[in-house]
Amino acid sequence: MPLGDFAGGEAGPGSSSIQAYLTLLSREIALAPKAPPLSTIYIGGGTPSILSPKQIAYVLEILIDSFGIQNGAEITLEIDPASFYKDDLKEYISIGINRFSLGAQSFDDEVLARIGRRHTSFELFQACEWVENFFRKGELSSWNIDLIQNLPDQDLTSWEKQLKEVLNIHPPHISIYDLAIEKGTVFAWRKGRGELNLPSDEIAADICALTSAMLKDAGFSRYEISNYALPGHTSRHNRVYWSGGGWWGFGLGATSCPWGEMLERPRTRAEYEKWVIKQESLGIDESLKPGKKSSMDLDELFLVGLRRREGIDVEQLAKNWGWKKKERKVFLSRLENAWASSIEKGWLVRKGSRYVLSDPDGMNVSNHILVEMMLWWESLPKIAHSLPSFSVRL
Amino acid sequence: MTEVPVSRLRNFCIIAHIDHGKSTLADRLLQDTETVASRDMQEQFLDNMDLERERGITIKLQAARMNYVANDGQKYVLNLIDTPGHVDFSYEVSRSLQACEGALLVVDASQGVEAQTLANVYLALENDLEIIPVLNKVDLPGSDPEKIKEEIESIIGLDTSTAILCSAKTGLGVPEILQAVVERVPPPQDKLDQSTRALIFDSYYDPYRGVIVYFRVISGRISDRDKIFLMASKKSYELDEIGVMAPDQRKVDELHAGEVGYLAASIKAVADARVGDTITLLNSPATEPLPGYTEAKPMVFCGLFPTDADQYPDLREALEKLQLSDAALKYEPETSSAMGFGFRCGFLGLLHMEIVQERLEREYDLDLIVTAPSVVYQVNLLNGEMLMVDNPAVLPDPQQRESIEEPYVRIEIYAPNEYNGTLMGLCQDRRGDFIDMKYMTTERVTLVYEMPLAEVVTDFFDQMKSRTKGYASMEYHLIGYRKNDLVRLDVLINADRADPLTTIVHREKAYGVGRGLVEKLKELIPRQQFKIPLQASIGSRIIASQSISALRKDVLAKCYGGDISRKKKLLQKQAKGKKRMKSMGKVDVPQEAFMAVLKLNQ
Repeated sequence: MPLGDFAGGEAGPGSSSIQAYLTLLSREIALAPKAPPLSTIYIGGGTPSILSPKQIAYVLEILIDSFGIQNGAEITLEIDPASFYKDDLKEYISIGINRFSLGAQSFDDEVLARIGRRHTSFELFQACEWVENFFRKGELSSWNIDLIQNLPDQDLTSWEKQLKEVLNIHPPHISIYDLAIEKGTVFAWRKGRGELNLPSDEIAADICALTSAMLKDAGFSRYEISNYALPGHTSRHNRVYWSGGGWWGFGLGATSCPWGEMLERPRTRAEYEKWVIKQESLGIDESLKPGKKSSMDLDELFLVGLRRREGIDVEQLAKNWGWKKKERKVFLSRLENAWASSIEKGWLVRKGSRYVLSDPDGMNVSNHILVEMMLWWESLPKIAHSLPSFSVRL
Repeated sequence: MTEVPVSRLRNFCIIAHIDHGKSTLADRLLQDTETVASRDMQEQFLDNMDLERERGITIKLQAARMNYVANDGQKYVLNLIDTPGHVDFSYEVSRSLQACEGALLVVDASQGVEAQTLANVYLALENDLEIIPVLNKVDLPGSDPEKIKEEIESIIGLDTSTAILCSAKTGLGVPEILQAVVERVPPPQDKLDQSTRALIFDSYYDPYRGVIVYFRVISGRISDRDKIFLMASKKSYELDEIGVMAPDQRKVDELHAGEVGYLAASIKAVADARVGDTITLLNSPATEPLPGYTEAKPMVFCGLFPTDADQYPDLREALEKLQLSDAALKYEPETSSAMGFGFRCGFLGLLHMEIVQERLEREYDLDLIVTAPSVVYQVNLLNGEMLMVDNPAVLPDPQQRESIEEPYVRIEIYAPNEYNGTLMGLCQDRRGDFIDMKYMTTERVTLVYEMPLAEVVTDFFDQMKSRTKGYASMEYHLIGYRKNDLVRLDVLINADRADPLTTIVHREKAYGVGRGLVEKLKELIPRQQFKIPLQASIGSRIIASQSISALRKDVLAKCYGGDISRKKKLLQKQAKGKKRMKSMGKVDVPQEAFMAVLKLNQ
């Protein structure tokens, strides 16, 4: 079920530059092979809301022209507070956007400044009010707030305040993840110098547990490690990633995976342009052509699937993936051994051939459990890694 | 190859401190004598091993023969014999000096003389070598040749009026050096008529031809049709080939007294043709071998264990192969309840240990756990027996011991005098006994201490370097065994004794080391599913304890689209790290933890 994953926004200000980028993007989309109509579209990465509604409409039009679109498709636009006005939202809705994802990060001005966000809490509250209004009037099918937890100097009390703020606004969908400190960033440098007062593992674990408990009390379901939704508001687009479905991706730095193999586009404008020209002259990347591959690798399916509330049915996934009965018996019992201590700890719950991370303890240590899975995968004979029979999943 | 009379042979070596430009100068000499065409020039031609080139140090000796037309219009043959530049290999240095009549003493014109250089110059003087001082890097702005000349005169007592100013980098002074070698280095003694004796000054293992032996003919002749006899190993061989290093090996029919060359004779292991052994002819052997042969004795020991028990046979095979090319490497099987099967290995020193470890991992693709280095203790038992213990974990119980003796070294540290205080503090902290302090110049001082070797083979060198901004250098040699009040310090991880972390320490330092060890281990061992107690003990008495709390939380990251492949890479990296850990009981312990005792001061 192919989808649109449009990553843009790194084009920077200047309308001529944006226009040139959109032209390049349309050239890339035009190269995509025939495929079933889209069920969701997600326009995100960077700050797409610096694109005018007209420009967004242009992108949507090309996508729909190329692939077609299913009835009731989820069409999300990522928006950053302070990059749009109320009227812009109205126009985005009028061209077909039916879900907004708002990059709030925090309701604390001090924190926002420290993590280098341009918006203030005032602007954020205002943006929330606008979006929520459209949602209540039924002009949006859903919307989301992104928050970051376990920031420097954060403790349980200050985080509880943040959660109360977001529950006050009560969006139908909330994404919450930890501050990730990437190599080569100012944060990494300051951390190395011991300047960042990051919450200890104990406090961080308590913070996660509090998040899970408070949001559940408010009626949210933790349907994935970092995503909470009210009934009927899980993101269809997100779920595709975790269920091993295929998706298209276009634009600077975007990743596509239409048939099971991921492909990442260059992250600079110049390199991206070169890449598009190469695709035009030498033909599209193998990973984009149907028929080469029919699924993600099994370890990848496990990796993404385990993030979900319902976990993974390893027997079913392995069967679909192509392991015969004997292989499943041998290899999957080895997986059970690899996970034995995590099951004993109660981090991983086993129901028949289904494994589910417990919430919050198991979800808190998902990496640990996934590393055990990776070690299991690597310990398997080579034959287990290659898809033995060709099966079409679409 | 033309026959050269003994009078027109010159054999010399270069004595220099690391970084003072020995290899660059050697390259330059090869180039100026057109021994190597400029286009074939790799940087640092004489250093063959990858490791050497990467670290910029010479581990194995090399040699090169150069043809040179001197100012008198005569053709000369100059043999340059390279010497290793590290204290671990001082025995090899002394052998290669014996193969020479002269030495270039290369000193960095801004840095001055260093301890290692000094030690080697004294060795050269003992061997009656003619020494030609060369001040290198005079092109650099910080150089002060006059001051360094004074230093050489006052420290070594060499006349520096004829010292040559040079820049190996630009080529300045290189012709003068070649001319000085001809004029000032004496030719070898003409001993053509005496029975054949040749000194092995290096050898290496070639998988196709067997051991290649580098030698200097001291007397008589060797031809490629001869059968040779090695006087120390008492083995005889038929020669496959002999030749010279130009610097690539070039076959010749015969080599005579004074010449330097190589031979191949299908010798299986370097241990059969050790450095310092005397080659003679089987049919007309010399009566006496050349003086000075000793077998290199390992001074530092450690345990080597494969991370993955399945790699044990591979490790054994790799050690067997390495020993073919490294006569100083000793090993025997070691089993530990905590670590499984491995080997106890002996090395000349810490550098030698690191090199072997790195070669095993790099050339043989092994994942290894290396335990902290130990020295050999002499244990006097109550029943009158004496035991040599190279593994702290097998030290007999106190009830059986009368006393423990440990090896001592005499260490000389050479540094600018402003670092006196900090260096004396360091030596004292490492149980050093002060012997002497000598001002070599007004600004430079030599500190002499007698110190347990065990204190030197930990992080002493690193500490010395970091406390003196890299300006200090050192040199040591073994002086014998001394009794001390030593105890065995055990470490318990999750209540199980971790053999490889056992150390032998002085009673007075035991508490500090114990506390430091468990704290360091707490840092180095990652959190696991359960709480892990860490303890240090002497006998049954716990002297320090810590614990690692159980894992509760990883970073919760988003995982959409492109995040998936990034996430996978991250997890793969973590999995790889975990695979390299050693399971001790239920606890996964990373490699670094086994070296924790070396990191107590960081």
